Amino acid sequence: MAGLCLAIGNKAYSSWSLRAWLAAKHAELTFEEVVIPLDRPESAAELRQHSPSGRVPCLSHGPIRVWDTLAIIETVAETPKGAKLWPTDRAQRARARAISAEMHSGFAALRRHLPMDLKRKPAPLAYPAEVAAEIARIEAIWAECRAARPDGGPFLFGAFSAADAMFAPVATRFRSYAVPLSRTSAEYCDAIYAHPPMGEWIAAAIAEPWTIEHPKP
Amino acid sequence: MAELTLVIGNKSFSSWSLRPWLALKQIGLPFREVLVLLRRPQTKAEILRYSPSGKVPYLTDGSLGVWDSLAILEYLNELKPEAGLWPSDRGARAVARAVSAEMHSGFPALRQHLSMDLKRKPARGEWPSEATADIERVRAIWTECRQRFGSAGPFLFGGFTAADAMYAPVVTRFHRYGVSLDRELEAYRDAVLALPAMREWTDAAQKES
Repeated sequence: MAGLCLAIGNKAYSSWSLRAWLAAKHAELTFEEVVIPLDRPESAAELRQHSPSGRVPCLSHGPIRVWDTLAIIETVAETPKGAKLWPTDRAQRARARAISAEMHSGFAALRRHLPMDLKRKPAPLAYPAEVAAEIARIEAIWAECRAARPDGGPFLFGAFSAADAMFAPVATRFRSYAVPLSRTSAEYCDAIYAHPPMGEWIAAAIAEPWTIEHPKP
Repeated sequence: MAELTLVIGNKSFSSWSLRPWLALKQIGLPFREVLVLLRRPQTKAEILRYSPSGKVPYLTDGSLGVWDSLAILEYLNELKPEAGLWPSDRGARAVARAVSAEMHSGFPALRQHLSMDLKRKPARGEWPSEATADIERVRAIWTECRQRFGSAGPFLFGGFTAADAMYAPVVTRFHRYGVSLDRELEAYRDAVLALPAMREWTDAAQKES
């Protein structure tokens, strides 16, 4: 599709941008990437110029602008090579959407206390009990998906899907903050890190000139 | 098709339950309703009887269970694509999903300070400035959708879509807390409130103890 543009935030910190970007890459879309560094005085004005909600990510195609990660993912999944973003089995697809939606609106404490920070040298950080409860819920979701996966791939539903794009920033948080994990969860995080587009994103994140001391979720 | 069952919370205040319930009614899929009273000592155990995820709303279709209102709406769209739960035009559909997703993860101040309460007698409420900002954003979304995509009917994208289901609880909040709207948005609010399914839900909500 010609003329696609994806506006994103700093790769080191913008977890929502990572999700949409991974989905667009997986759908083999060719798109122009506009990085809007967050947390600067001029950020808000630049964001409003690129996104009706004033938030990134935002995907534009001519006059149509699609903001919000989950809407971008559903829209990308409708493109010719995007169908593989959701599992082909209807029940699996419903489950993938349920956990993706849960990630989309939930886990507020995890996001607040352990923000994505790809420039952080991995080290533990103390967190309150509500974060521990959310981590336990995520590990339960992952374990259930991994136990039921229909094919042998390393991701939540075997092959890489939108659900993995949704949980990829969580895998980076678990590593950056050295969160102790079950073996299943640790292996899943390894699979996310071994996904080639993920490596590309992380390398670009580390090379970014901007540093935010206390990144927002 | 196996019988659909929707597990919901109290109709007077469970805004997340209203969304998929209204969508099911609007697209005419028969379903069994299971209502679990929230905020009681036994609530958690009750929900877990029906919803292994521990969450409402929860839709079951035979052995399949789907939780989260937005995931349920996408599932309903797959069950009955001809019902037009999303707009048929690709651009309009993308924007409908964007405004729905923004509702799904946003507007925390609106949700906190103007919580859905269908037993409240409509009267002007008070709220802090961050809720005002959320209200402004909702007005902007509704205005843009109505102007760009709404010419074929009274709803955000003309005919009723999942986006209207997502914003239906907001419509009730604006009504109950006396949020002022311009004439065009008032007409939209009234179109949602006049839906027979909305009246059915509201009547049931007001009879709840």
